[in-house]
Amino acid sequence: MATATLPTPTTTAAAQRTGTRTIKVEIKRQATPDAAARTEKFEIPYRPGMNITSVLGEIAAEPITADGRETTAIAYDANCLEEICGSCAMLINGKARMACSALVDKLREGDEPITLAPLSKFPVVRDLAVDRSVLFQNLKAVKAWVPIDGSYELGPAPRQFPQIQEQRYPLSNCISCTICMEVCPQFNDSTNFVGAATIAQVKLFNMDPSGAVLKEERLRALAGDGGVQECGMAQNCVAACPKQLPLIEAISDVSRDVVFQQVKDLFAR
Amino acid sequence: MAAAAPVAPPDLASSRGVKPLRAGQGHSFLWRRLHSLSGIVPIGAFLIEHIVSNFEALNGPLAYAQQVKFLNGLPLVRVLEWAFIFIPLLFHAGYGLFITFRGRANVNVYPWASNWMYLTQRVTGIIALAYIIQHVWRQRFSGVSLPEHPGAAFHKVQVELSNPWMLAIYVIAMIATCWHFAYGIWLFSVKWGITPGDRARKRFGYVCAAVGTGLCALGLAGMWAFVSPKYANAPADVMPEQPAGVVLPAPSVAPPNSTNPSQPGRVAPE
Repeated sequence: MATATLPTPTTTAAAQRTGTRTIKVEIKRQATPDAAARTEKFEIPYRPGMNITSVLGEIAAEPITADGRETTAIAYDANCLEEICGSCAMLINGKARMACSALVDKLREGDEPITLAPLSKFPVVRDLAVDRSVLFQNLKAVKAWVPIDGSYELGPAPRQFPQIQEQRYPLSNCISCTICMEVCPQFNDSTNFVGAATIAQVKLFNMDPSGAVLKEERLRALAGDGGVQECGMAQNCVAACPKQLPLIEAISDVSRDVVFQQVKDLFAR
Repeated sequence: MAAAAPVAPPDLASSRGVKPLRAGQGHSFLWRRLHSLSGIVPIGAFLIEHIVSNFEALNGPLAYAQQVKFLNGLPLVRVLEWAFIFIPLLFHAGYGLFITFRGRANVNVYPWASNWMYLTQRVTGIIALAYIIQHVWRQRFSGVSLPEHPGAAFHKVQVELSNPWMLAIYVIAMIATCWHFAYGIWLFSVKWGITPGDRARKRFGYVCAAVGTGLCALGLAGMWAFVSPKYANAPADVMPEQPAGVVLPAPSVAPPNSTNPSQPGRVAPE
């Protein structure tokens, strides 16, 4: 069913001959993590309602560059195609955003090509696929979970008040796309800043009645090098976040908690 | 199907890119928080004192000289000067440069207001530092020593500001420094979790803008005293006989027939 809509080489060639609308795409590619990057240009037939993942699908169906050279399909991460899995973040026209929710009709100005590039602050695996495992490492470092695993029955969970739940819900929307980290001027290999997503998850799990048991450990972790103090309040994270997490509020709240924890540890520990 | 090779765990030690959080390790939290705090007290507090003191110049060379004399008469003034001005300033400037050069400003890609403020805070900090180095050298550590000759203060500043280039530097530095301080207060209140909420941040932003604008206006008004025609060509020293610090008044000899020698003005009625 889906294959029926994919263009065959003849339809594309026909589209170009007959002057049907096409989209120009320029993609920064590299075959291996160490290979030099190069740019490949593509021209694919336009269909209404396309997003960037469907553009990449069109290229995969017919991996031929605009000048007619055969090439390979573009490597990229994608899964849910509805901005909930967080895997398809990339630089689209230079800005970090989700490929699935980037609509071609809203991206193009005239006949300008759409540029695609991998996120710039993560090691490239291949083409548009990058290694974002640093976020996973950071979430592990702050114990961003509720410790309920055990060999015995732990009983019912404590009650969670709806007021707390209302504050936690927006933070639970994080999809780990790493866009907040990509757009942050402080997230780089000299500060090794932990990034907004991890700090927001610290607030989320510290407010959980069961997760709060690890609160002090999380706050101590965030006072380490690259912790919450590296935030420079450029606030790009909150502007770029595709899920509108209240990241600055979370950073501010967690910063205060970290200060209190440090002072408490200094005098009382 | 052939058995797939086991997935190798990520080799984090040699991995490129940004390193994971060093949970609980290092002292950068302390230094970064000290940097934030030192910008408010003592440096910000001193900035307010300095601008308010200089505003006294509008009352003329003598009033300005008395203000300088008063400040230099404070107990342990040299200790105060080093402990609450020079050393915190050196730390704030040094660590501020360290922070600046570790950031990767990206306003060219994300030209958002708060991102511009991030860059502006670093630019104004560097402008203020460059200005303060020449200002402290030229006004405090070279030329007439003002702690010893407070009466020469007005003339010294007036000569400095008579150069239009120097006047322009002072005006630019005044604006940059007040900007840096005002946004610094806002940053402080967010980073210490005093104003976390959207509304609180916005409202306090207006407060900080008002504080910065007011302080800058006060500073520029004080500067006007030195270039305005009202006090043009002020004398080189308005109170040459008065040294700095507290000195005993000249001993007065009680006139004969004084009933109370400690109040020599009173003479017993005949």
